Amino acid sequence: MTTTTAPVQTPPRTETRGGRGHALARQVVSYVVAVLMAFVVAGIIIAVLGHNPFDAYRAIVTTSFKSGFGFVETVHKWVPLVLLALAFTIPLAAGKYNIGGEGQLLVGATASAAAGILLADLPVYVLLPLVLVCGVLAGAVFAWVAAWLMDRFGINEILSTVLLNFVSFGIVDYVASEVWSDPAAGHPTTIPIGEGGLLPLVGRPPMHLGVLLAVLVAAATVVVMRRSVPGFELRAVGANSRAAQVHGIRVGRVAVGSLVVGGALAGLAGAIEVAGVHGKLIEGMQSNYLLLGIIIGLIARGNALAVPFVAFGIAVLEVGSSAMQRSAGVPSEMVLIVEALILLFLLFSDVVGARLRRSSR
Amino acid sequence: MNEVTSFLQLVVTAMVPFILAAQGTMIAGRAGVFNVAQEGLMMLGASVGFLVSLTFGGNLVGLVVAGLGGGLFGWFLGWVTTRFRLDQFVIGLALFFAAAGLASLLYKVVIGVTLKPPLIPTLDDLSIPGLSAIPLVGPVLFQQSAMVYFAFLVSGGLYWLLYKTNHGLKLRSVGENPKAADSLGVNVARTRIWCSAAGGALMALAGAYLPMTYTGTYTEGMVAGRGWLAIALAFFGGWRPQYILAGSAFFAGMEVLALRVQVGGLDVPHQFISMLPYVATLLVMMFALRWARIPAFLGRNYDRESRTSH
Repeated sequence: MTTTTAPVQTPPRTETRGGRGHALARQVVSYVVAVLMAFVVAGIIIAVLGHNPFDAYRAIVTTSFKSGFGFVETVHKWVPLVLLALAFTIPLAAGKYNIGGEGQLLVGATASAAAGILLADLPVYVLLPLVLVCGVLAGAVFAWVAAWLMDRFGINEILSTVLLNFVSFGIVDYVASEVWSDPAAGHPTTIPIGEGGLLPLVGRPPMHLGVLLAVLVAAATVVVMRRSVPGFELRAVGANSRAAQVHGIRVGRVAVGSLVVGGALAGLAGAIEVAGVHGKLIEGMQSNYLLLGIIIGLIARGNALAVPFVAFGIAVLEVGSSAMQRSAGVPSEMVLIVEALILLFLLFSDVVGARLRRSSR
Repeated sequence: MNEVTSFLQLVVTAMVPFILAAQGTMIAGRAGVFNVAQEGLMMLGASVGFLVSLTFGGNLVGLVVAGLGGGLFGWFLGWVTTRFRLDQFVIGLALFFAAAGLASLLYKVVIGVTLKPPLIPTLDDLSIPGLSAIPLVGPVLFQQSAMVYFAFLVSGGLYWLLYKTNHGLKLRSVGENPKAADSLGVNVARTRIWCSAAGGALMALAGAYLPMTYTGTYTEGMVAGRGWLAIALAFFGGWRPQYILAGSAFFAGMEVLALRVQVGGLDVPHQFISMLPYVATLLVMMFALRWARIPAFLGRNYDRESRTSH
């Protein structure tokens, strides 16, 4: 049972008459138009709700850049967003939808916390890599379960990944409230991991080194997707799986591999959240990263190079949303609507753009 | 009332959201539109249904408005995927975000943040005279709220529509082979749009049922994956209304069982029990899909000017 067939919106190839620069300009224009229209529509909604849209937008846009703390908060938020967006984007290149980033992140975080608590006395140069590797492996294994169900039994990957999210909630709840519970926390939370498992902090206000890790991973993903054999096979399967199969690419294996790699990145996000931000496992630490990761991946049109930049924009919006709620009184959920609108307008701009080009020809 | 009767009664009560959301998925899917916004549309239905019922003081008007809202989202999905042939999954996910955001936003705008949220009355049980007196079957099937009867009627109605009417034959042909349907004069786009709209309405009704039956108010996370399970149920039921109706008993049974075991204090951590519905669904899907069949054009847009039939 394969229902995902439509080759997904890979960025338009640059075969058009204008060449590469022309296509890039068109992309940029469509992004600018989509963002502007989303803000206009959302602004109308905010005004109808009886608030001042300009105050709201000022709060959203400036919070991240007004203070060092705001900026570091934004960058810290960017890390899980970019990793979860890549966890969605990499399988998307093969035409597979990974809606399980949340579960993969949580299982990765659980494994990291377990390693950090059980081996708390190890020195930092042993424990920290161990904590990170455990997170990566756990995320990969969790995604592999979904991929195996897809490959072996033909269960739609949207379902197999999404249902495992709910399984992971139970795992986190169990570990945080039964196994290594911190009774003083008043919320399912584990005891802190060992000192050696924490990511080093640099600068002032302090920023954890997971940021560097995320930058490296994002860069490596771009290179692998564009310049390596597995990356080529991945894109070939996504573009036309039958043609890929005819040319000797093992389609099933590529699809499974893409989901496993995606899971590994989501697991890394979990590990970084534990080792860099919280220092422990907390129920609900996944926030709404899954939704945001998917939105980022779709707004970036599955382009791994665009993902970090889009993720930064979304991180700014997210950090600004709570400031907007405080200062302008607009509920922070407004930001989710803005993001959905950006995505919808972006998709529409493709259609409109294609019409305009056709009529001007 | 004995243990078995009360258990079955709870199962039938819990079946309703699964039936409605999965039948909504099915009717859109049989026309070829694969909606993946169930979870969001159920949240929106729950929020809107609660808020409208609270404001106008009647559950019926809440249900109607929730259904219309969900129908609008479904209509939009059908419209952009036929008129502009945008990717069904991408649009579905975008609608999921928009609906989920709107659900919480509307609640915050109308109610705000309070410690003691206002409540709406839950739906009354409607005993059917005569039938409700039958032992076992009576209390389980005929002492339920109106929405339970509605869900069963919808299932029956959809079965009749799909397999006993000319419209149903056309509808199914659109999902199986739109080119053939088109060549015989069936309006593929219109069929898809309206099936998608009807599906969205049913999903929102499934959501609106939750506050009106269980909590009396809207809470974030109250849908708890039922929307995603509804997709699983549609596959599990082979995209046929009669099997979906039967399959919903399994999904509801798992839900009630998980609740019962937690309350009953079995010696298993409740966290593992709470995974039961999801794990059971995956296990069942592993074997159910051997015989389940799906509409050939499910999730695929139809381009009448395309040269290939696929």
